[in-house]
Order: sequence, then C-alpha cells, then structure tokens
Amino acid sequence: MSLLRLDEVHTFIGQYHILEGVSLDVPAGDIVALLGRNGAGKTTTLKTILGLTPARKGTVQLDGQDITLRRSFDIANMGIGYVPEHRAIFADLSVEENLRIAERNKGDLAEREELIFGLFPDLKRLIRLPGTNLSGGQQQMLAVARALVPDNRLLLIDEPSEGLAPVIIEQMMEAITRLSEHSTVLLVEQNFIVAGRLAQHYVIIEEGKSVKAGSMADLVDDDETIKRYLGAA
Amino acid sequence: MTTATSSPARRRSDWFKENRNRFTTLAILVFLLLAAMSGVERDDWFSTIMQGLSVGAITFLVASGLSLIFGLMDVLNLAHGELFMLGAYVGWTVYTRFDTVVDILVPLLILSAPFTLLPLWRRLAAAIGSTPLGRRWAGLGLLAAGATTTFVSVTRFPLVIWDPGNFAMSPSNFSVQIDLGTLAPLPPDTFGWPAVIAILATLLGGSLLALGFNVLRSQIDERTVVTRKHLLGFGVLIVTAIVLLAVKEPLNEWVFGLSTTWRFFLAMVVSVAVGSAAGALIEVALIRPLYDRPIYQLMMTLGVGFILIELVREVWGRPEFTMSRPAAFNGTGPGCPGEGLGGFFSGCSTLEAFGSRLRVYNEGFVILAGIVVLIGVTLLLKRTRIGMIIRAGVQDPEMVEALGINVRRVFTMVFALGSGLAAFGGVLAAPSIGLGTGMGAVFLLSAIVALAIGGLTSFPGAAAGAVLVGLLQQIIIRYGQSGINLPFLDEPFKPSPTLVPAAAILLMIVVLLVLPAGLFGRSER
Repeated sequence: MSLLRLDEVHTFIGQYHILEGVSLDVPAGDIVALLGRNGAGKTTTLKTILGLTPARKGTVQLDGQDITLRRSFDIANMGIGYVPEHRAIFADLSVEENLRIAERNKGDLAEREELIFGLFPDLKRLIRLPGTNLSGGQQQMLAVARALVPDNRLLLIDEPSEGLAPVIIEQMMEAITRLSEHSTVLLVEQNFIVAGRLAQHYVIIEEGKSVKAGSMADLVDDDETIKRYLGAA
Repeated sequence: MTTATSSPARRRSDWFKENRNRFTTLAILVFLLLAAMSGVERDDWFSTIMQGLSVGAITFLVASGLSLIFGLMDVLNLAHGELFMLGAYVGWTVYTRFDTVVDILVPLLILSAPFTLLPLWRRLAAAIGSTPLGRRWAGLGLLAAGATTTFVSVTRFPLVIWDPGNFAMSPSNFSVQIDLGTLAPLPPDTFGWPAVIAILATLLGGSLLALGFNVLRSQIDERTVVTRKHLLGFGVLIVTAIVLLAVKEPLNEWVFGLSTTWRFFLAMVVSVAVGSAAGALIEVALIRPLYDRPIYQLMMTLGVGFILIELVREVWGRPEFTMSRPAAFNGTGPGCPGEGLGGFFSGCSTLEAFGSRLRVYNEGFVILAGIVVLIGVTLLLKRTRIGMIIRAGVQDPEMVEALGINVRRVFTMVFALGSGLAAFGGVLAAPSIGLGTGMGAVFLLSAIVALAIGGLTSFPGAAAGAVLVGLLQQIIIRYGQSGINLPFLDEPFKPSPTLVPAAAILLMIVVLLVLPAGLFGRSER
C-alpha cells in the first residue's frame, strides 16, 4: 500500500507553471528515486509535497489523508523529514543545536542518538562546532541526521551525493540504506549509479510531468529510456 | 575537516586575521573618542560619557527590536519609532491617569473575548459561501458591520479622560499635580446604555469582527473544535472585565495612593504589554498579507507610523508635556546629592561621582535597564528553544517551517517582542526627555544608523551601534558649548545642535566605507 500518493499535481511559482501534472506512488518501506534532467521539477515536487510551494491543482495524499492544502509545519509534523539540496543546515547554530531544533517532542534526540551517531560518528566529535565550520560532507551528514531526529515515516532527500567526494558518497549511501529500514524514502538523485544502487522504484519527471515509472531493476537494463530521459547511458 | 584538525592557537590567529578590519575600525573610533575627550574639561567627561550611554541605552531598545524583526522577517519596520512613542504615552497614562486605563480596559477585554473562540469562527466561516468573490464581500461586510457595532457600543461605556483643550484637565497639568502629590481620581462616569446591553452589543461587535477576519482567510485549518482551553480564555476575559467594573472605584483610590515608584513599575509592565499587543496586531493584520511584497510592506509600516502619530495627537493632544520622575529617583533635601556610585541607591535625584554631577534616573536607572534587556535578550537568543528557532529563522525560515515549526507564529512573537522592547524604551525615556509626537522619528533615525553601524541583523551589533551613536551625539552636544580647537581656525569650532543627527550619519558612512557589512555583520549571502 502506498504511503505517499501524488495525483496530477500542478504547481506554480509566481506566474511560472513548474509542475504540469506529476503523479507518483511511494510504497511504504521502500526507496523511490525521482529522476530527470536539471530543471525538470524534481525539487519542486518535494517542496510541493511539503506545502512549501503548494499545489494549485491535483492532490497530495499521505497515508490516504489529503494534505494538499495544509500548512508546511503541519505536514512536516505528520512525520515527514526533509533534507534539502545544498545542505541547508543552520550556519549560526552548533551541530547539537542543528539537531535539537528538529525535535518535535522533548527527548527525541536522546532517543535516536545511538542511531544518528552510529551512522555518522563524525558528528559526535563535532557536536559543539558551529555549522559554518563543517566541511561539505559533514554538512550533508548533519542535514540527513537532522531529518532523523524526530520519528519520521517518510524522508524527502534532495541530491544527497551532490558535490561530495566518492568516499563520502559511499558513506552517505550506506547511511540511506540503513535509515530506509526505519522510514520510507523519496530520493532526488542526479547520479544514476547512486540512484540505481539505492532505490527499488523510479519515477522520471520531464518538463514538469511524470512520464515513466517502474521498478529500478528494469530501468537499469533499459538503455533506451535512460538515454531518452536522463541523457546518459 | 580543516577546522577540526587545526590547533586552537592557529584558529585564534586566523580569527584575528579575519577580523583585522573590525579591530582597526574599533581602535580608530576609540582613539577619536579619547582625542575628542582630551579637549573637554576633566570634570565633564564622566557625565558626558554617562549621558551618551543613557541615550545609547534608549536607542538600543529601539534598535534591538528593529534588528530582530529585520533579521528574521526582512521587514524594515518604519513604525518602530511610533511604537516607542506609543510606549511613552501609554506609560504616562498608567503612571498619571490610572482611572482612564481601567475605563478603557473594560470594553477592550469584552471586545477581545470573542477572538478566543477561534475554532468556532473557523467553522462558521467555512459554512459561508464558496466562491472566492462571494467570500470576500461577505468578509468585508461582516467586518464593516462588526466595526460599526463595536464603535457604537464601546462609546457607551463610562470613560473619564483628560482634555488637552482645557488647562485644568490637560495632561501637562496632571503631570504637575502628580509631581506635587495632589493628583486624585476623577469623578467616575456612567454607562450611556444599560450596562448589560452595552456589554452584549460589544460582544456582538467582537464576534462579527472575528468571523469577518476568518471568512477573509483563505487557508484551510482543520482545528474547528472549541476546547475547554478556548472557553476558559473567553471566561477569564469576561470575568476580569466585570470584576474590574465592580471594583473600579476602590481600585483607583488604591492605585492613586501608591508611591510613584510602584506606579512607574506598573506603567513599565502595561506599556510593554500594550506595545507587544500592538506589534502582534500590526503583524497579523497588516504585515502578514504582504510578505511577498516587501515594498508594500515598507509603505504599510510607514503609513502605520503616521496613523499612530495622528492617533496620539487626537487622544493626548498636540502640545508636548513632561512626565515626573518616580519617587525613588526624585529625592532632594538633606543627604542629597548622593556621594559616589553608591548614590544610585540613596533615593536622591542626583549624585556626585568622579567630579561630575549625574542624574540618578537618566544616567543610572536607564543605563541599568538597557544592560538588563541586553543580557535578557542575549540569554533568550542563546539559551532557549525559541531563541534557537529565531537564530535559525534569520538564516532560513523555510527550512525551519519544514522541520515542523510554525514559523508564522514565531514571526508574530518576534514582532511582539521587538515592539514591546520599543515601548519599554518609550516609557523609560518619557521621564527624561518628555512626551512629544516627534520623539519616535528621532530615535528611529538613530536606531537605523545604529543598526547600519552594528551590522543590520546582528543583535550585539545593535547594542554596540546604539552606544556609539549615543556617545557621539552627547559629545557633539558637549562641544556645542565648549568648542573644538581645530587647526587653521582662529576661534574654537562650535558645532550647532543640528549637527547631532548629521554626525551620527557621518559616523555611519565612515564605518560602512571600511566595513560594508557593519561592525558585527556578516556579508550578505
């Protein structure tokens, strides 16, 4: 049964029609990769789910409940974690504060400390440093860790491998695999190799429309589709 | 990785290198200050510095709120000076005419009671028409009906108030009376309608307004169940209003019998509360719909400022008047002036220290209050969850919202906090500079200059900038009397008082030329 379902979603930013009909299903417990070229509307899809750029037409359902018109903080509090692109961590806050601010109930951080520092042992060492002093990889770890603090059933992760060194990408992939044991993941990923290894399903977006979806295992062998929509073999 | 592995000593030297410009600027400013001081008689420099700090403290109270609001919401609140002014007038009213405050409070409490039943209005609003145009007209119609009902019913409540046109009843005369200790409550007024009808009509007016606002809101909100908490809020407001009506006269007698120190304390509390409420109201009703349109927002706050000035002129009259200092800072006679810094607690109005004579209220209490606010707000920002959310929101409000935090509510709270601080500055300033409708503009200008010097969104920067501006202004005023011996001039140069604001702006230009982001600011993203 699907945890998240988008049905013919249209989103405008200002007067620009960004999403022109996105439909997708995210089955509970799986990792779904959202693929497509730059500017296809992948990030806007994530923001529309969260209500940051609300849909003007179509519906977004979480666990069968319509959340299209709800306010962002309300949607997030239903159990959605967001890891934005460009690692939007809070530069003025310490690593610990960056994690603590994501607490929805007192003690969330203490409860999941083991999981978080198990995945990212570096963060424990850097706990008192301000976010601005972290390296790119460390900031990305912090951004993922922050989404793990509350008990989220769905994680929206935007470009986790962007601009990272190969060693760090490996670590990030392992972390995402491990955290998918706890929550469902909708992943935006430009790096097809990363997406192919992580996800069970894929959805391709082109020019604001969802054009193709299916099982990742099939896509890996489907050179024609890859070439046509993703521009790489 | 670099920061984690580098040694602490290395990090420190990096820090010095990064902040080199900042230190140079500060050093030059301190040097200029000392050079300027050397021209003034020794007896004067201590009092000049203290006066500068006093003006700086009040400027800081305006600048701090301005900085918090600008940092978090990108709103340059041009009405901030007028909120400062409003704080002063409200403070004067509580201090001098408590009976008027009670008379205004009663209908206000009744009027606000319906707003506590928000879920009820949401549910009713959801039932009204479905076309956007229909809802709009219905909402505006409800607001008009509500405003009319409210106006008609609220004016039927008893109200004793001053009259600027009649000297015996004018604010300035009451200020003299409170100083002489002869001020008494005015004879109470009566209801224009039977009390029950006036109260019910006011409740109806408040309900129509609350419903109207909710019809105009477009966002859907699921919380439409009236809980015990909402009913309790409604009950508390109504009961408070009725109790106030019943005990009005003995309460007024009691308050007018209190020492002016206690009444000043009460004035500070009420001023901050009214300032915060006014700020919250302005944010929710006027600024919120315009977050996508910053220019409109700027014009809106400018307009709100003008409206507040006219409102104050209408209610308190055009002439400026004074506010007496509270008893604890107004003592004279034997044992006065107090000796040394211990004189702050002598109860005298002045004290002698370092060869200068200081006013205990202006150069003692005001500075102390500024320091307390600085420490309090710093602790709030650094140590509390809401402070953490504010610091995060300054950088990226969207991400804060995505974490499940109601950023809009945080915006309203910060606007209320900033406005409350400005109002606090107003009530503090009133006994030292008096009350006038121009006071807001003067301090808003100083505060904006202070922010630019300190680095727009930096809270410690607002404090440093405010102190610099205050010191500079007082030193210039000082030189206006004694003159500066400039080279190539036969006579000492005496800056005229009009140079005071110009000097502050000159300081801002110099600082910004060296440090475009201000003393503590970070360069823009």
